[in-house]
Amino acid sequence: MTAVLQILFDALSLGSLYALGALGIALIFGVMRLVNFAHGDYIAFCVFALLWPSIDAAAIVFIGKLPSLILIPLVIAIGAGLSVLSEIVVFRRFRNANPATMMIASFALGFVIRYFLLMLYSSRPKSIDLWSNLSLPIEIFGARIPLLQVITICTTIVVLLALTAFLKRTRFGLEMRAAAENFTMARMLGVRANNVIMLAFALSGALAAAIGLILVTQTGTVDIQMGVSVMLVAFIATVIGGLGSLTGAVIAGFLIGGATVLMQVILPVDARPFRDAFVYAAVIVTLIWRPNGLFAPKSAKQRV
Amino acid sequence: MTLLEVKDVTVRYGQLTALRKASIGLDEGETLFVTGPNGAGKSTLLKAIAGVVSPREGEIRLDGRRISGRAPEEIARMGFSMVPEGREVFGGLTIEENLRLGVGMRADKDQAERDLEQVYAVFPMLRERRDRHAGVLSGGQQQMLVIGRALMAGPRLMAIDEPSLGLAPKVIDDVYAILLRLRDKSGLTLLIVEQSATRAMLTGGRMILMRSGEVALAGDARELARGDTLRAAYFGYGDH
Amino acid sequence: MAARSSILAKTVSTPVILIGILLIVALVALLVKSGPFNQTVIDIFIRVVLVVGLYVFIGNSGVISFGHIGFTCLGAYATAWLTIPPPMKKMALPGLPDIILNAKLPFAPAIVLAAIFAGVCALVFGKILMRLSGIAASIATFAMLALINQVYSNWERVTGATSSVVGIPINRSIWPYAICAFVVVIIAYLYAISRSGLALRSARDEATAAAASGIDIPRERLIAFTLSGVIMGLGGALYAHSVGVVTPDTFYLGLTFISLSMLVVGGMNSLSGAVLGVVILSTIIQILRWFEKGVPIGGTTLTIPNGLQEIAIGIVMIVILMYRPSGLTKNRELVWRGWPFRGLFGGA
Repeated sequence: MTAVLQILFDALSLGSLYALGALGIALIFGVMRLVNFAHGDYIAFCVFALLWPSIDAAAIVFIGKLPSLILIPLVIAIGAGLSVLSEIVVFRRFRNANPATMMIASFALGFVIRYFLLMLYSSRPKSIDLWSNLSLPIEIFGARIPLLQVITICTTIVVLLALTAFLKRTRFGLEMRAAAENFTMARMLGVRANNVIMLAFALSGALAAAIGLILVTQTGTVDIQMGVSVMLVAFIATVIGGLGSLTGAVIAGFLIGGATVLMQVILPVDARPFRDAFVYAAVIVTLIWRPNGLFAPKSAKQRV
Repeated sequence: MTLLEVKDVTVRYGQLTALRKASIGLDEGETLFVTGPNGAGKSTLLKAIAGVVSPREGEIRLDGRRISGRAPEEIARMGFSMVPEGREVFGGLTIEENLRLGVGMRADKDQAERDLEQVYAVFPMLRERRDRHAGVLSGGQQQMLVIGRALMAGPRLMAIDEPSLGLAPKVIDDVYAILLRLRDKSGLTLLIVEQSATRAMLTGGRMILMRSGEVALAGDARELARGDTLRAAYFGYGDH
Repeated sequence: MAARSSILAKTVSTPVILIGILLIVALVALLVKSGPFNQTVIDIFIRVVLVVGLYVFIGNSGVISFGHIGFTCLGAYATAWLTIPPPMKKMALPGLPDIILNAKLPFAPAIVLAAIFAGVCALVFGKILMRLSGIAASIATFAMLALINQVYSNWERVTGATSSVVGIPINRSIWPYAICAFVVVIIAYLYAISRSGLALRSARDEATAAAASGIDIPRERLIAFTLSGVIMGLGGALYAHSVGVVTPDTFYLGLTFISLSMLVVGGMNSLSGAVLGVVILSTIIQILRWFEKGVPIGGTTLTIPNGLQEIAIGIVMIVILMYRPSGLTKNRELVWRGWPFRGLFGGA
């Protein structure tokens, strides 16, 4: 029983991370059909913002020293700001470009951000102690669960609820949903394109920051590559969930998280290192079975 | 006084010229029917006014202010409301959310609430289903919804692309009855793309006929529809 | 057939010009006779192979693939398996089957077998992936890249996991690399004017019309995918022999980024774009590398920080996508229209 509970928490916390990532990708895809390859680098950027730029091996903690109540909003603001900035400087000029061109541009932007970090901080991973006491386990129904997992899951639930409320209950949310469905018609009803897109970028960047904070607390290291694997899974989740569907992206994120943890448990010991490879293979198979994803919205047929 | 002025507007899609030096004028409170065969540039004309396609040449003015080259949302905020072809309801939004979308740019929120009541009074079917997703509506119901949605934006000029397409004759009658009531009551200016000359004749107003991207004929709807001139121009024989 | 030979006559100057350009690069290397510069030119030829390999699929099909460097990884490891001296292999990669463990092939058959191995894998992956299209296909190719990387980063007994595989015989002559680059250019050209290549390009431009006129798009895509897999595998094998060491992470996002940028900068839909993209970006990279090492100007040494090279390339790529999304060649091919260089760029 406790083992099952432990697996469940592992799956939920990993799924949470993927769901937050997928949501960040899907929000932007919804309003401008952009698959943002720079998303993983937003995550890394937010984490590096905790440190003072230096190419020494030892990390010089900077923002990371601030009290949590200031630190968290600040890092989230950095994520949102970077994301909005990339919209203004780069993606705005690609509004009428085809999705493939935008995708490659975002890929290039991601590299610019990554090597910018490399230039300032060097490519060596550095260790940082941020809320390491959160890794201590707490007891839930006899199972020992790291507190961080509980916090990750709770944060994700709060974010999802808040975002749902925002989308369903506010004027801006209504406009975003309308824009995701049919941008031109929404504009003809007075919805301001730039505002909606910038908001989507801001939310997406804030989610990237949240992921960054969770990752750095979990691993205790900062690394310019740290966003890549989450971003990769997040992409896959948005495709599996049905491009354009926010709910689909979140569910698919949790599904992939669950599948990964399950693989870890059921695979023979020899095959465990290939856990992720099995997950990717499962994803490709799923796409063959449902090329438009599991929960494709009717409106999200690819614009040819 | 002139509300809308389209002057020598040319629109191209790549190699194809969809609109060739088209000019129309529309006074406040007036009704203008645009007719013509498929591919004549009627929808392109509406899209150019809405700012969805940008003219290669010429200019468009609304209320004396130049709107060509502006973003669709700005033009909408200046009092232009559009019902595009193909209806374009937001299927994932509820009916009431669809209706409320256009309200965002209005300053008179109280009046907007009264307008909502009025739209519901006119289309009671929409009120009954207000919390259902718009995707479940039938074609005719969607047409009512998009007209209601355009009205909720509180426009001074409303353009409708083929309001009768795919609707039962009875429903077309209802739709027109509502449009004309609004025109007479609140001075709404109407720009209607309509294939049926009879409809234009019954309603009255001015009419233009477009062919191959040009305005081929203009005049009083009733007079044009009566004679043979319209048919001649429509099919492209007769000399002018 | 008559139509085919007229296409051939009209376009055959393209591969000739491109090979000419590459020959000039090779001759410059022979004249300079500097070890590091020699290596730079070898790198250029390998990149030509890789980028032309990408072009064969992306350029003809219009589907962006982020996964092709996976085949490069397969090719590189395959040649390592075949050419590392057996005693070293038995120590480092004991999981290999006996027949491979005891093999010690020379350079040429090894790289050919490596390319074929990559091509077979591309055929298998392509069989599955080519049913997808658009963004879903791109993301799926990305998943394929991650899958290959994960397997090669963890299969301790066969790939040495993340540690470097050493002992691959190094070949320092530029000619094998140059010849491979020429051959690949010719193959890509022949594919582009083949029935399959023409069908695929017409499907790229007019998907509905092409499908209506009976073109089996997934099948033509699979042919291009497999062929490009072979070329990417060859590129990987050449890479392995040029440096003597392979690791899985060499063949991941960094190399994907560089090869894609070269293709985009040159012009995604043209063979000339692929080759010119490599030559132009390689030149920029080389200049930036000199600056990273430090260039004496006046009395001082001007040094730019590490990483600036990639940042500069990224920015160049974004700017080109912004203002010239069809690349420097505008997706046209270099063709010969009489002497002197009258209208060097012809239609696509």
